[in-house]
Amino acid sequence: MNKTRMQLLYRLFLILFFTVSLSVSFAADSTSGFEKIKDSIVETTLENGLKLIILPRREAPAVSMVTWVNVGGSDDPKEATGIAHMFEHMAFKGTDDIGTTDPEAEKAAMKKEDILFDAIRREKAKGRKADPRVIEDLEKKFQKAVDEAFSYVIPNRFSNILEEEGAEGLNAYTSRDQTAYIMSMPSNKLELWIAMESERFYRPRLRDMYREKVVVSEERRMTVENRPTGRLYEEFLSAAYKAHPYGQPIVGHMSDIENYNRHDSEAFYRKYYTPANMTVVIVGDAEPEKTIELVKKYWLRIPAGEAARRITTVEPPQTAERTVTLYDKSQPYCMIGWHIPEGTHEDIPALEAMTAILGQGRTSRLYKKLVLQEKIAVAAGAFAGFPGTKYPSLAVSAFYPAPGKTNVECRELLYAEIERMKTEPVTQEELDKVKTRASVSFLRGIENDLDFAEALASYQQLWGDWRELFNETARIEAVTQEDIMRVANKYFTRDNRTVASIETEVAEVSEEGESK
Amino acid sequence: MRKILTAIIAILAFSVFPLQVSALDLSSIKFPELRDPHVPEVEKVVLPNGLRLYILEDHTLPLFRASVRVNGGSYLESPEQIGLSDITADLLREGGTEKWSPDELDELIESCGANFETYGDVISCGLSVNMLSRQTELAVELMAEVLRRPALDDSRFEQLMLSYKASIDRRNDSPDRIGSREFSKLIYGADSVYARHIEYATLANINTEEIKKFHELLYRPENTQISLYGDFDSAEIKKLIEKYFGDWEKGEKPLPPFPEVKYKDAKRLVLIDVPGAQQTSIYLGHLGGRRMEPDYPHKIIMNNILGVGFSSRLFNEIRTKSGLCYSVYGVYGSNFTYPGIFYNYTGTRPETTIKAITKIIEEIRKMQTEKPTEAELETAKKRYLNSFVFYFTDKKDTLGRVLSYDLFGVPADFLEQTRKAIEATTAEDVQKAALKSLNPDMLRILVVGDKSKFPQPLETLNYAPVEELDVTIKK
Repeated sequence: MNKTRMQLLYRLFLILFFTVSLSVSFAADSTSGFEKIKDSIVETTLENGLKLIILPRREAPAVSMVTWVNVGGSDDPKEATGIAHMFEHMAFKGTDDIGTTDPEAEKAAMKKEDILFDAIRREKAKGRKADPRVIEDLEKKFQKAVDEAFSYVIPNRFSNILEEEGAEGLNAYTSRDQTAYIMSMPSNKLELWIAMESERFYRPRLRDMYREKVVVSEERRMTVENRPTGRLYEEFLSAAYKAHPYGQPIVGHMSDIENYNRHDSEAFYRKYYTPANMTVVIVGDAEPEKTIELVKKYWLRIPAGEAARRITTVEPPQTAERTVTLYDKSQPYCMIGWHIPEGTHEDIPALEAMTAILGQGRTSRLYKKLVLQEKIAVAAGAFAGFPGTKYPSLAVSAFYPAPGKTNVECRELLYAEIERMKTEPVTQEELDKVKTRASVSFLRGIENDLDFAEALASYQQLWGDWRELFNETARIEAVTQEDIMRVANKYFTRDNRTVASIETEVAEVSEEGESK
Repeated sequence: MRKILTAIIAILAFSVFPLQVSALDLSSIKFPELRDPHVPEVEKVVLPNGLRLYILEDHTLPLFRASVRVNGGSYLESPEQIGLSDITADLLREGGTEKWSPDELDELIESCGANFETYGDVISCGLSVNMLSRQTELAVELMAEVLRRPALDDSRFEQLMLSYKASIDRRNDSPDRIGSREFSKLIYGADSVYARHIEYATLANINTEEIKKFHELLYRPENTQISLYGDFDSAEIKKLIEKYFGDWEKGEKPLPPFPEVKYKDAKRLVLIDVPGAQQTSIYLGHLGGRRMEPDYPHKIIMNNILGVGFSSRLFNEIRTKSGLCYSVYGVYGSNFTYPGIFYNYTGTRPETTIKAITKIIEEIRKMQTEKPTEAELETAKKRYLNSFVFYFTDKKDTLGRVLSYDLFGVPADFLEQTRKAIEATTAEDVQKAALKSLNPDMLRILVVGDKSKFPQPLETLNYAPVEELDVTIKK
C-alpha cells in the first residue's frame, strides 16, 4: 500500500507505454515451432456473421473468453461522446429476464423514467431560457420514477450468476477502436457463459441507466479531472485531432454524459452490436466441435445485421506545430505526438522499430542520453500507435524531467536524438535487438490464456485475420536501417507534431513582500 | 405439456422468427463434473550453504523463468536511512557486476530479449527472470553475478538517487495517490517500518558504502529461495545452480525478526485538504489480521460479503443504489508475517463526501448487527469454491505458494484446509468473525479532498475530532 518509490514511477511509465503497444509485443519468431499452435486454432463464421475462434489448451480445467466488438469511443455520435463506454456499463445490467423481479412492470416503469428524463432534457436545452422551477419539479418526479423502476431490479444479478459459478476477472473495457468483454470460467461452466454472453447482446435491458450515468461521471472525475496527467491526455488528443474522433474522450464530455438518454444507448447498440461486428475467442480447456455447437445454439438466436461502417473522416495533414500547456502545482511532464498511419500500413513495422530504438528499454537512445548520461530526465520513452491502430494514429514520446530540470531542456535533447535518426542509420546491433525482443515478447504474450485470446481478437479485428498475429515477426524482421531513416524523415517533422506539457505553476504568494 | 409446447415454439422460432424466442432457461444447463486440476509436484532442494530451490519443469514454451526471494527488506533499515533496502535492490540491477559494466549488463539482457528485474519491499527483496530457455546457463550466471557480485557503479547510483528524489517531488501530484500512502501511516504509525517512506533527509544518509554493507547483511544463501520454472531438465538446472551458487558463503548471524505492530484502538478522523481536487478519496479501517488465525476462512467470507465484487454490500449500497462512486471496495488484509490492514475505499465527488462516509460506516456496522442472509452466504461461498480452480491455472502461482508456505512454516495443505473451512462456514461464523475483528466505533478515517467543496464540514459526522494533516514535502 505504500509504494511511493521509484519503481512505482517506473512501473507507471511502463504501463503507459508498453501495454498499449500490442503489435510490438506480439511479434512472432517465425523459426520457432508456432505452426503447431497455429494449426490447433479452429475458426468458424456463423450464419449470422459472428466470428468464432477457439484455441484448445488443456493444462488446467479452465477457459478464458473474450467477446470483442468492433466499436469504440471513436464511433460515438455528436452530442453523445462516451456512449460506447456507457453501453459497456449497461451490458452488465442484465437482460429482459435476468436482473428483474417483474419484466413487464419494470418495462412500464422504465418508460416513465424515459419520458421524464426527456422532458428535463428538453427544458434544459432551452439554455438560459430554461425555467428552473419547471426543471426542479420535473426532477422530483423523475427521481420518483427512477426509484420505482429500481424497485423491480435485482441489483447486479447478471454478474452475480457468473461470479457465483466461479467466474474470474469478469470485466470489460472500451477503447477508441473496440469494446472488449473478458472473463475466465471453470471449464465445466462453458455453456453457462455462452448462454449468458449471447443473451446480454441479444436482449440487453438497459435498466438503471440514469443512476449508472452518475457512476460514469464519477469515473470521469477519477480518471480525468482529478489527475493532472488525465487532463493533459485529453488536451493532448483534442489538440492532435481536429477532425477525426480519436480526439474525443472515451469516457465522454461531462455534458454529454449528463445529456444522453437510454434511447441513445440503445440506438448505438442496435447499430454496432451486430454479430458481423463481433468476434468471440475462447482459449483453454474447450473441445472445439462441442463448443461450436454450443455457440451456435445460443448465438444464432441473434439475427444477422450489417457490419459497421468505417469512419470516413480523415484527419487532414497537420501543417503547423500544436502546443498545449497545462499549468498545475504538479511536477513537469511532457508528451509529444506525431501523426502516423493506421496499424496495417506498410510503414508501421519500421515506425515500431524506430520508436523501440528511440525509447524502449534501458539501452534505448532516450534512456541512455536523457536519463543515464545527462541525467535531465528520470524516465523517457517512445512508442507507435496511440490512441489506436484502426485509424491513422500517433507515434508518442514522453518524459519526466529530473528534479530541477525542465521540459524545454529534455525536449531539446529528444529532438536532437530524432534528428540523428534522420541522418545516420541506426546500428545493425540496435536493429537486431529490436527483432529479438519482439520475438521473445511474443512468447511471453501467449503464456497466459486471456492475453492470447485478446491478441487473437485484436488481430482479427485489425487485419480481418487472426493469423496476422503470427506474421508480426516477419514484418519486423523485414525492417532495414534505411526504412527507419525514411520513416524518421517522413513523419517526425516539426509541423506534424503536437507537444503537450505540464508546467509547474509557482504557488501564489499571499503575504506581500515574499514574492521576490 | 407446456415444456413440449415451448420446445416446439422455440424450434419454430429458431427457423422462422428468430426474434421470438422463449426466455433463456439457465436451470436447464447442466454442469459436467469439473476434472481435477493437475497440481504439479514441485521439487525442493536445499544446497549445503542453505540456499533453497523449488523446481518445476514445463516444456510448453521455450522459456526459462526464475524468481528469487531474499528474506528481509526495508524493515531492516535504520530510521535515518529509509530507502536503503529498495535502492540496494535497484542498484544490483542498475550498477553492473564484477564481470559486466552497467552498460554491458543492460546490453546483454536486452539483446536476449530478457526480462530481468530486481525488487525490494518491506519484508523481502529479490529478482525475477524470464528468458529464452536456450539461454538458461547465461540466465543463471546473470542471476549469480547480480545477486553476489554487484559493482554498485557510482554514476548509476547518482541516477537512482535522482529518480528517488523525483518520486518524492511527484508523490502528491495526483490527489488520488496520496491516500493509500498516508492511510498506512495512520494505521501502523508514521514511524512504523510497515508504513514509513523516504524523505530527502533519509536519502541524504545513503551512499554506496552503506549499500555495500546492506548487501552483505541481506543477500546470503541461507536467506534466499529460488524458484525455477520452465523448459529445462531438472538435473541439469541443479548442476547449474550448484556451479554458480554452490560456493556462496553463508552469513554469520541470523536477521532480526519482524518488529511487532504496536496498535491501540482509537478512532481518528484525518483530513488532507487538497484545494482543487475534483474527487474525494476516502479510506476507513483499522488493523487487520494474520493468515494463520483460525477464523481466517470466516473472514474471507465476511470480506466477500462486505466489499469484494459486484455482489458485495458496499458495491450495491454505495455504487449501484446510491450512485456515489465508480470505485468502492473493502479489504481485510491478513498477512503471514505481520498484521495486515482492514480498509475500505471509495472515491466520490466532493458534495457527497459526508454521505459516502456515513454509508460505509453503516455497512461495516451492519456486518455485526445483521447476520448475512442465506443468499449472501451462499453467494460468497460459491464464489470462493467455484473459482477455487484458478489457484491452479498458473504454475507460477503454485510455485510461489510452495515457496512462501515453506518460508513461513505453513502446512502444505493450508489452501485445502481453507477450502474445507469455507465449505463449512455458517452465517453465525461470519457474524462472530465480524464482531471479533471489525470495530465500527474505532475506525480510522482518512479523507483526501477539497474541503471547501464539502457541503458540511467533516465535524458534522460527529465521529471523532477532525485532525488536519499537512503533507507538504520537506526539502
